Amino acid sequence: MLKMMDVKKVFRTDTVETHALRDFNLTVDEGDFVAVTGPSGSGKTTFLNIAGLLETFDGGQYQLDGMDVSHLNDKQRSQLRNEKIGFIFQSFNLIPDLDLFDNVDVPLRYRGFSSAERRRRIEQSLELVGLANRMKHLPAQLSGGQQQRVAIARALAGEPRFLLADEPTGNLDSKMAQSVMELLQEINRNGTTIVMVTHDSELAQQAKRNIYVRDGKVSELHSVADLAAAASA
Amino acid sequence: MSASNLEIGPIFRALMRNKVGAILIAIQIAITMTIIVNSVFIIVERSQKMTRESGIDEANTFHIGSSAFAPNFNHQVSIEQDLALLRALPGVVDAIQINAVPISGSGWSMSLQTQAGAEYDGIGSAIYMVDENGLNALDLELIAGEAFVASDIRWRQRGQTDWPEQAIITKAFAEKLFPDSEWASVAGKTIYINDNEPMIIKGIVDKLQAPWVGWDNVEHALLSPERLAFPTVRYLIRTEPGMRDKLMPEVEQALATSNKGRIVRGLRTSAEDRERSYRGDSAMIKILTTVMIILTVVTALGIVGLASFSVNRRKKQIGTRRALGASQGAILRYFMLENFLISSVGVAFGAALTVGLNVVLVNAFSLSAIDWFYIPIGMITLWLVGQLAVYGPAKKAANIAPAIATRTV
Amino acid sequence: MFGYYLKLALKSIKRNPILSALMVAAIALGIGSSMTTITVNYLMSADPIPEKSQQLFYVQVDSWDPTSPYNDDNNDPPNQLTWTEATNLMAAKKAKRQTAMAKSGAVIEPSNPDDKPFEASIRLTFADFFPMFNTPFLYGNGWDQQSDLARDYVVVLTREINDKVFGGENSVGKNIVIMGQNFRVVGVLDHWQPVPKFYDVNNGAFDETEELFMPFYLKEELELPNWGNTNCWKSPEGEGFKAFLRSECVNFQMWVELENSQQEAEYLDFLNSYVSEQKALGRFARPMNNRLSDVMEWMENQQVVADDAQIMLWLSFMFLAVCLLNTIGLLLAKFTGKSAEIGLRRALGATKSNLFIQHLVETAVIGLCGGVLGLALALLGLQGIGALYGSFVEHLTQLDFTLVVIGLGLSLVASIAAGLYPTWRACNIAPASQLKSQ
Repeated sequence: MLKMMDVKKVFRTDTVETHALRDFNLTVDEGDFVAVTGPSGSGKTTFLNIAGLLETFDGGQYQLDGMDVSHLNDKQRSQLRNEKIGFIFQSFNLIPDLDLFDNVDVPLRYRGFSSAERRRRIEQSLELVGLANRMKHLPAQLSGGQQQRVAIARALAGEPRFLLADEPTGNLDSKMAQSVMELLQEINRNGTTIVMVTHDSELAQQAKRNIYVRDGKVSELHSVADLAAAASA
Repeated sequence: MSASNLEIGPIFRALMRNKVGAILIAIQIAITMTIIVNSVFIIVERSQKMTRESGIDEANTFHIGSSAFAPNFNHQVSIEQDLALLRALPGVVDAIQINAVPISGSGWSMSLQTQAGAEYDGIGSAIYMVDENGLNALDLELIAGEAFVASDIRWRQRGQTDWPEQAIITKAFAEKLFPDSEWASVAGKTIYINDNEPMIIKGIVDKLQAPWVGWDNVEHALLSPERLAFPTVRYLIRTEPGMRDKLMPEVEQALATSNKGRIVRGLRTSAEDRERSYRGDSAMIKILTTVMIILTVVTALGIVGLASFSVNRRKKQIGTRRALGASQGAILRYFMLENFLISSVGVAFGAALTVGLNVVLVNAFSLSAIDWFYIPIGMITLWLVGQLAVYGPAKKAANIAPAIATRTV
Repeated sequence: MFGYYLKLALKSIKRNPILSALMVAAIALGIGSSMTTITVNYLMSADPIPEKSQQLFYVQVDSWDPTSPYNDDNNDPPNQLTWTEATNLMAAKKAKRQTAMAKSGAVIEPSNPDDKPFEASIRLTFADFFPMFNTPFLYGNGWDQQSDLARDYVVVLTREINDKVFGGENSVGKNIVIMGQNFRVVGVLDHWQPVPKFYDVNNGAFDETEELFMPFYLKEELELPNWGNTNCWKSPEGEGFKAFLRSECVNFQMWVELENSQQEAEYLDFLNSYVSEQKALGRFARPMNNRLSDVMEWMENQQVVADDAQIMLWLSFMFLAVCLLNTIGLLLAKFTGKSAEIGLRRALGATKSNLFIQHLVETAVIGLCGGVLGLALALLGLQGIGALYGSFVEHLTQLDFTLVVIGLGLSLVASIAAGLYPTWRACNIAPASQLKSQ
């Protein structure tokens, strides 16, 4: 599903050169649920941005769903994001003056679905996160947990193969965090591959597989399942 | 306060990192200054033009035309009767027949020269044909020589082309005709009209303008001692102060009823003539003033808008600065100084642009060249506008609570 | 998708009402001021008779003072003709149509004794005047060439005078007393006001048309006065009206209708040979300098567009520039404020061109609002100009359909030009840069 080989990313300013990722290697199989942990500044977010085609990288190879994405142009990458990847952010990133319906609608618009198709998908995905009855509400009228559910609905509406979550529970209390986590697990059971960056090790334990990033490298593999997988590879 | 306290260096470096906004404001200030300074210059010039005096008693003078249409109309008799009637009306200081009215826009001009012969160039002057009451009716002061007397006055018939032997001219015209003589000594000299017809300068009057206010020779006037036996004539009436508006309908009525073989028309005050003649100038002044005000407001609002935006965007940064010990005054100063730097670039550029536009106007529309002192005044004005406009947003920035630095959203 | 962008634009405009209002106001003021001056300049420089402005030519010959040119600044011949030239050139009849003309005035005595006599302006001209200038007739027609030569007392009235004297009824064939003489009405013009009044710009390029039209030679017959500019370089030889008429003073205009450049060249040849003949008679001591100008060339030559109007035009364009710079600044501010949303849309799959169009639509909506408001301001501005300048500009302060289209087009082009850079910046925001919580 996702395969990174020796991926490098360097940030340069006039005076400093920061190696955000150095020889980053990771393979994520279809249907997996990977939790990425690591200290701040370790390169977690850079990894996620590159995985989600939000940023380009400086070296190595990245295959998404079997396709080499290193040489895609901006427009092709936009389309790929739109069709194959769903995003969930720590701060939800809902558009404040669009109601829930219109917020979920945003990626579908760029997909070019018919209006009936869009309506069906929006309703279905809001149904899934339990907010179908609040379609005409504005984000500000919801709690944080509900807002994150809307963001998840938005990420799912395009039926992506692959869901990227950046600290999805970071702005939520533990109860809400747990319910969001359960929602993600349910989505994963239905076949969507998930990569989740988090600093909450308890939450990370609930994923199928844990990786630990440090100094821009995958440096440790945690759970028993992962060790087994690594041994068999 | 030392220069280091003013933090020009950091402000400048911060500006350079967000050039576009600053450049936009600077260009706006430059163009605004260009328009404003050139407009003020045009306004001042036009106002000076408008304050020139015509020389006549404008507030108490009006004029009215008479056109005869009846066959066998006796023009001379009619004019003598009319003048007798007008001069006898209570409240009338004096009345004359005249061929053209000062600053009214239409009249006669002739070329006068100091040597006879077609080969010599003349100087243009307005011609006013008046009788011995001319000086009194026009409120002119004789400053040299003598006034016309009744025996000087002749009748000019239609199509008649020769000229009387005497003339009275304005001081300005005397000085122009005889630049090497004392103006008072010009009385008694001979000038030539129609290349070689002599006229002796009988007297000199202080000031009388031509009918055309935009004419280069507007101060040149020559009084010719004659009445016109024409079918279409004009009377100029000077009244006692405050009597003009009461007398105007009376005069119109009296002339209309005294003789049915003509119509009276074109009743108009000299104040109205002035208004009409300078209407273009006064309109230009009003339009330019409006443009200046609106433009200044637009530019100021632009500065307010961009400054407010930049304050909002830097809220957290400002809060951090406050948390690190910056006083409210320091924050206020930061934004004021930032605007001052931008304005300085703007007005420097604006000074060059102002001169550029003036050069274009001078070449294309024969305006005069701008006086140097308009430029620094314009620069200071735009600096002030900038500082006033930025004060509000800067004050708002200064009031940002330091606690904002620790908030997450 | 366009509907979606429109919806987003309206939402975005509503989100920052003050910023949006400032932008609309800035564009409106810029458009308002430039449309006001564009209108005045456009009407001043309009082609008054587009269907034949290239076939009508103004005639100039240099009959001026041997010792000094008519105009010191350039080498132009006098802008009017003497009576001698006007009558000679008319008699030669070398063009398809031709008319000499002059402005005058006289007293009309209405037949109804209750109506007071009044003075009316007169255009003295020839029968060809009416077909040459396509004058619209309400009743009757112009006179024929026979009447020109026979010096018939015939007259064409304007609609206004016909209303005043005949109560608006068909007065063709009726009598009217002008200067104590009985005239026969042969035609009544419908409303006719060329802007500029091209056929005689010497006497006010934007004046009203004259109230009466009558045969040219009646000037001599009735000793009609000269209205308008009379310029002389030499005093008349002899006394009286006839001597004055035959003097070297210029007070007459002449137009000829020529269908092609060959006819134009032939007419110029004719003028040259005419002047040569006159030189042999001791006149025309100046170098040969004859000229034919078509309508627009003549308007240009006579500088019909007032200097002040042109100065205003340039100042108002600079004003518009300031307003647009203002708008660029405000749009930058606004779009930068939206960078979080833009980054998010990018992450969710919007391409750069999606975002570019979205923001261009938003800019265009603001521009159109500014344009509509600007046109309203222009109407106000034109009224203001009308009030300030009075009747002189009466025909110069009306917006027509073309101007409305120009105004809306200008506002659209201007606002989109202003929006390009901010939009370009907005759609180049990196998708990842704005997604982390602040």
